[in-house]
Amino acid sequence: MHPLDRLFEKSSRSLAQRTSRRSFVALLGQALTGSILLPLLPIDRVSRAQAANADPDAGAPPQHQSISGGARNSAHDDPQNCEYWKYCAIDGFLCSCCGGSSHSCPPGTAMSPITWIGTCHNPGDSRDYIVSYNDCCGKTSCGNCACNRNEREKPLYRLSRNNDVNWCMANSDSNYHCSVSVLLGLAEQ
Amino acid sequence: MRSLQLRAALLALMVSAGSFAAQPLAPEQLSIEPLPSKSPHWVFVIDEAFFNEIDARVRLFDGDSYRHLGQIDAGFSPGVIQSPDGSTTAVATTYYARGGHGARTDVVEFTDNATLAAAGEIVLPPKRAQIPPTYFNLAYSADARFIYVAYLTPAASFGVLDPAGKTVLAEIDTAGCVLVIPSGPNRVSSLCDNGKLLTVTLDPQGHEAQRSLSEAMFDADADPVFIQGAPSSGGYTFLSFLGQVHEVDFSGEQPSLHPPWSLVGASERGRWRPGGSQPLAINRALGRLYVPMHRGGEGSHKQGGSEIWVFDRNTHKRLARWPMAPSRLGAVTAVQVSQDDAPLLFAAGDHGAVGVFDALTGRLRHVDKDLGQTPWLFLNP
Repeated sequence: MHPLDRLFEKSSRSLAQRTSRRSFVALLGQALTGSILLPLLPIDRVSRAQAANADPDAGAPPQHQSISGGARNSAHDDPQNCEYWKYCAIDGFLCSCCGGSSHSCPPGTAMSPITWIGTCHNPGDSRDYIVSYNDCCGKTSCGNCACNRNEREKPLYRLSRNNDVNWCMANSDSNYHCSVSVLLGLAEQ
Repeated sequence: MRSLQLRAALLALMVSAGSFAAQPLAPEQLSIEPLPSKSPHWVFVIDEAFFNEIDARVRLFDGDSYRHLGQIDAGFSPGVIQSPDGSTTAVATTYYARGGHGARTDVVEFTDNATLAAAGEIVLPPKRAQIPPTYFNLAYSADARFIYVAYLTPAASFGVLDPAGKTVLAEIDTAGCVLVIPSGPNRVSSLCDNGKLLTVTLDPQGHEAQRSLSEAMFDADADPVFIQGAPSSGGYTFLSFLGQVHEVDFSGEQPSLHPPWSLVGASERGRWRPGGSQPLAINRALGRLYVPMHRGGEGSHKQGGSEIWVFDRNTHKRLARWPMAPSRLGAVTAVQVSQDDAPLLFAAGDHGAVGVFDALTGRLRHVDKDLGQTPWLFLNP
């Protein structure tokens, strides 16, 4: 596991184990006013079902599938493509296909204040970046560009690394609409 | 052409005359179709309806007649479970007051399995874990005195419900451990990040009487287990991402961990892996395990299987490898097997089609493409 992943995972897991809903709301207030820079916890939604199969190369990385959304540029550079580099552990509908972008929610939705943080490798500059996976909430499933990637993703008991749970869960309107991947900074020193 | 028209007119006249001569159709009576008697070859298919997620449903399907027998509504991101006597389906779900938005109501809804009619509900605090369906989103105690519901806010806890009185009895904090694995009349175990099982024992009122931690069952860093365990003799069996089989005996006061064994040989380890939303099915009487397997590396744990591998639970030997390509199901993401001695294997492909196989030979008997958009879990009746 990447050291930064481990750091964030440790603190957020500890938070999840110790935090009451009330103190969580207090933290949420801090986050919304900008006094906390990094989101607190893991994000997201599931979509399994997508991954294609029959990988002829043993041990090869998993295949992913973008149900809709065009590949206008090369896949790694196209925010409407599941292969976009920032989406290395996203699981849900890409907000960039739903009226938002890779880092913004569609109009009329609400951002999930809780999220989980991962690291993705950008082949464009060969650097690792910290990204925050957030859900956009308050409307029913967007349904476009279902995307399921799971690099270093872990089951529910490691909540800070899990993308199956609905990270809109703490929103006043917890319905899940789509997911974004927000670049927070370099993972390298 | 003129001759052709003449012949057609003549034919129409003859058909018409024939119709007049036959008895008229009897009037029909609108009615409700009764469910046939329960069969071990029925299966409850949980369609998470991911593309319009507020409208999940459970379809009851007969693996012999291939008929859709009925439906249970399941709301948003539901958990579904059968009562110990099989008489009731319990669905833990969420509804929003205005369909896709509005005030949130979490609820456990009951359905009479003899009629598929609604049979009451228990309203929950708005804390239910909104996660994909597993055996452990909600669960009955063995004597059906209690129902347990996993909460996640993201603080982890579970609710204790009284299905007879239709009330919530208690909420029990689980210190970050998740899900509700039932055992006996009053024990609930949860999976912890350190690989241990937290077991809470309840008093007769459904409140916590004591708690304990098991030894570590798995290493979440090196080889985590899927949370989608399957019922096995005396407990539940879990698979790890790399194909280790962890059998847990829940029949005693505390969970007892059997020595793990492997689905894969040394040359296959890390190359062939289990995966999907329901990666394990077990016929308990025959002692057979069914696992969708794929070739893949790290991060492929939700990928469906290109083959189903069959194992003997007692000898740990692989009995068969069944390639799924001929079935045209795509990658198999969920499996279930009936519990009789002429078992059927149900397998969901990644595009939503469901195959029905002879679970002894692997012969494909039927493919149904209308059992839902994202059938992520099967439950036996």
